[in-house]
Amino acid sequence: MGLKVGLDFGTSNSGVAVFDGHEVHLLPVDRLNTLPEVVKSILYITRDYKHYIGQEAVELYYRHNVGRLRRFEKQWVGELEYRGSDMYYVRDVYAYVDVLKPGRLMQLIKSALRTGNYPGTQVFERYYTLTDLIAVYLRALKERAETMLAESISGVTLGRPVKFSENMHLDRKAEDTLRQAAYQAGFQQVSFELEPVAAALFYELSLEQPQNVLIFDFGGGTLDITIMRLGDQRNRKVYANNGIGIAGSDFDRTIIEKRLMPHFGKGQAGLDPDLLELVNAVSDWVALPELSTPPIKFKLERAIREGLAPVRLKTLETLIFNDLAFSFYNGVESAKITLSGQGATVIGLQANKMDIWELYTRYQFEQDIREYQVKIREVLLQTVSASGLELEQIDAVVKTGGSSSIPAFSEMLGDIFGPERVKSSDVFSSVTAGLAIRARNG
Amino acid sequence: MITQDKIDEWIREVEERPASAPNIIRYIARRLSDLTSRNEELLNENIALRLGKKVEEYETRIASLEYQLEILRRQIGSGSAAEAILESAAPAIHSVSLLIYNGLGQILRVELDPAELVETKPLAKFVSDVNVQSFPPRLLVTSTQEELLFVFDSGRVAAAPVTAIPSASQGVLDWEQAFLQEPRGSEELVTILPIAKMTLAELCIQTSRRGYVKKMSGSFFESCLTNSYVGTGTKQKQDKTCSMVFCGKNDLFVMISKEGRSFTMEANKLPITIEPVFRISATDHIVTTFTGRRKPYLLFVTNTGKAVYRDIQWLEQANTFRTQGQPIFSKARRDSGTWIVGSAAVDEKDWGAALAADGSLGLYRVSDLFETGSLGVSEILDFVIYGIESRS
Repeated sequence: MGLKVGLDFGTSNSGVAVFDGHEVHLLPVDRLNTLPEVVKSILYITRDYKHYIGQEAVELYYRHNVGRLRRFEKQWVGELEYRGSDMYYVRDVYAYVDVLKPGRLMQLIKSALRTGNYPGTQVFERYYTLTDLIAVYLRALKERAETMLAESISGVTLGRPVKFSENMHLDRKAEDTLRQAAYQAGFQQVSFELEPVAAALFYELSLEQPQNVLIFDFGGGTLDITIMRLGDQRNRKVYANNGIGIAGSDFDRTIIEKRLMPHFGKGQAGLDPDLLELVNAVSDWVALPELSTPPIKFKLERAIREGLAPVRLKTLETLIFNDLAFSFYNGVESAKITLSGQGATVIGLQANKMDIWELYTRYQFEQDIREYQVKIREVLLQTVSASGLELEQIDAVVKTGGSSSIPAFSEMLGDIFGPERVKSSDVFSSVTAGLAIRARNG
Repeated sequence: MITQDKIDEWIREVEERPASAPNIIRYIARRLSDLTSRNEELLNENIALRLGKKVEEYETRIASLEYQLEILRRQIGSGSAAEAILESAAPAIHSVSLLIYNGLGQILRVELDPAELVETKPLAKFVSDVNVQSFPPRLLVTSTQEELLFVFDSGRVAAAPVTAIPSASQGVLDWEQAFLQEPRGSEELVTILPIAKMTLAELCIQTSRRGYVKKMSGSFFESCLTNSYVGTGTKQKQDKTCSMVFCGKNDLFVMISKEGRSFTMEANKLPITIEPVFRISATDHIVTTFTGRRKPYLLFVTNTGKAVYRDIQWLEQANTFRTQGQPIFSKARRDSGTWIVGSAAVDEKDWGAALAADGSLGLYRVSDLFETGSLGVSEILDFVIYGIESRS
C-alpha cells in the first residue's frame, strides 16, 4: 500500500501535504514560487501537448507570448445544419486560428466546477474535457510530490467546498468530475473532506482543551463556513456547514467592471453594440484571449479611424492583441492583495500605446464590494443560527484562505464575535495540512 | 481619467485612514512627474514640427505619396478631367535604381538617370563571383523614391527606403561592397518589392516556388506590415516563398515557371488560403509573377539569351485550380536545356535589365528585343522590366 496525501486543489492556489502522525509536512511543490509550498492553480499546455503548472507555467507563458508573431488562418471548424419545413441545407463554419500560438494558458479551472456549464475546450488539435484539464493538473502535482518524497503516492484526500453549487445535482456532478480527474491522474484511492473541516482539523492540533470553533474559509472561488466542536477527537462534532459562491475572483471582476472598464471605452457615447460587447468582454478572463482575431482587429481599427473613443479603443486593442490579458488580471489581483496591507495602491499597465493608471484605495474597494459584504454577513449569521449555538458560545473564529486577509472581513468578524476571538490560521496551507491529517487518520 | 468622484473617494480614504495619505500623495506625485516628462516630450515634438525639423522626415513620405498619386493618375486613364487636374501634380521621377540582391541579404544598387535610358548598352560588371554560396542573384528596377519591402523565407518582412542602400561605384559591382539586409538565423531573402503603391492596391498576392498562392486584402496586408510578418505562403517543407505582387481585383494574375509554362487567372478568383493552383512538374518552379491586361505584349527571356514576345491575348485564363498551364515553348527546346529566366507584360517603350552569368549587367530597349529576338548574351541569370516611359 502506497502513501496517502492531502491535496487542496484550490481556485487560485493548490498544495500537497503528508502527515506522519505527529507533524504535517507541507511539500515545496513549486520551488519557483515565493511560497514554495503553494502552487498557483494555473495550467499551460504547449503546442506539443506538454503540460506545465504553477510559476513555471506563468514564466513559460510570458517567455513564449510577449511580443510574439501571429499568423491567422481561416480554418474549417464544422458545419451548421439548417432545417425548415420545406428546406434543408448545410453551411460550413470557419474560424480564424492563430497558427503561431505557442500554447494555451488556463486559470481558475476549479471555478468551472461551480457552474457545470463548461464541458471543456479545444487546445490545438485535441479536445480536453473539464475532467481532462483537472486530471492533467493533478497528475503534474502528483509527480512533483512523488519526486520530492521519493515514494509513489497511491491515495489522496481532496478538499471540496461545502457547496460547489446550490443545485444538488450540480454539486454532485462537480464532486464526481473531481473524483474522476483524480483517478485519471493516477490516484488509486480517492476520498473527500470539506475544506473548512480540513482547516479545523489542522487548527485542532494547536488546542489544549475543547472549543467551539467557527472556520471562515474564504478562498479564490468560494466562502465556506463550518462550526465544530474541536479538541476532543472522540467527541468531535460538526454543528453546521454552509457556503456561498462569493470569493476572491468575484472581487477581481468587480474591480475591473467598476474601475477599469472605462479605460477601455465603457460609458463612451457612440459605440455600437458590437463594440460594447468587446468592451464588456474585458472582465471575462476566458473570453478575452479568444478575441484576438483579424475581424475584431479590423472592427476596432475602423472605429479608431472613425474617431470613436480612439484612445480607449486603442487601449482595448493593445490589451487584446499583445497577450496582456494575463498581466492585466494578475495586476488587478495584486492590487487587491496590496490593499490588505495598505490603504492605497495603483493598478497600472503600460505597453505600447496603452497607459492605464488607476489609483485605488481601500475605501473604494470596500465601497465596490459592499453588496458582497452584506450577503456574507447574512450567511455567517444564518450558519451560527443553524448551529444552535449563541454567538457567545463560539470560542474562536479561525480565518483561512487568501480572501480572509481582506481587512473589511476581519473587521466584520471582530464586530460580530469580538476581535479577541478572531484568529488567523495559515492562510494558504491550513486546508492542505488538514487534508493530510484526514488522509492519514481516515 | 481622474474625475471629481474619484478625488472625493481618495479624500474619504484619507479621512478614514490618515496613514494612507503619504502613499496617495506619493502615487499622485509620481504620476504627475511622469506626465510632466511626457508633456515636455510632446511639446518638444510640437516645436520641432513648427520649426520644420521634421520636414526631412516628411519629405520622404511626400515622395511616396507623390508616387501613389501618379499611379492613381494612370488608373483614372487618359482624357478625363481628373487627369488634367492630376497632370500638374504628377511628380517627375528624378532617378531610377537597379537593385541586384541575393539570398544572403546582400544588395547592390546602381542609380540611373532616366535621360540616360535611350539605347541598349552595358551598364556594369561584377569584379567578384556573381553567385555567392550558390545563391543566384536577382534583379529589381524601381524608382529611387520608393519604399522597399524585404521578404524572407521565414515569412518575416522588413521595410526601408531605396535611398538607405548606398549606390555602387560607377560600372563596378562587388558583393563585398554590398548593403546587408541581414537575415536572422537560417533565413533567406527571397524577394524585394516596392510598396509605395501598396495603399492603392486592392489585393496582395503571394506565390510560392511550387505554385501555391494566397491573396490578401490590402487592409489585411497593412497589419502584416505592422507585425513585420506576412507568412511563408507555403504548405510543404521543401517549398519557399517566391514572389509577391500588388494588384486590383480585376487584374489578370500571371505565373511563369522555369520550364516554360504559364498560369493566368483573374486576381479576384484566387484563393484566400494557401492553395496549390498551378500544377508544375517535380523539377519545375515558379520564376516570376506579374499582372497583365494594361500592357499589349508579353515578353519571355530564356537562359540562352533569346527574347520571345506574344500578344497579351495569347494568355488563356485558367478555369480551375491545379491546372498544368499553357506551354510557352516546345518540349524539344525544354529538353535541350532552355528555360525561362524572366518574363513580364510590356509595351514597346519599356526597358529591361539583364544579368549574365559572366557578371555583366546590361540595359535593353524592349523594342530592340522585339526586333532582334535576342539579348546577344549566351547565359542569362535574371531579367527584369521597368516601364520607364509612362513615368517621365
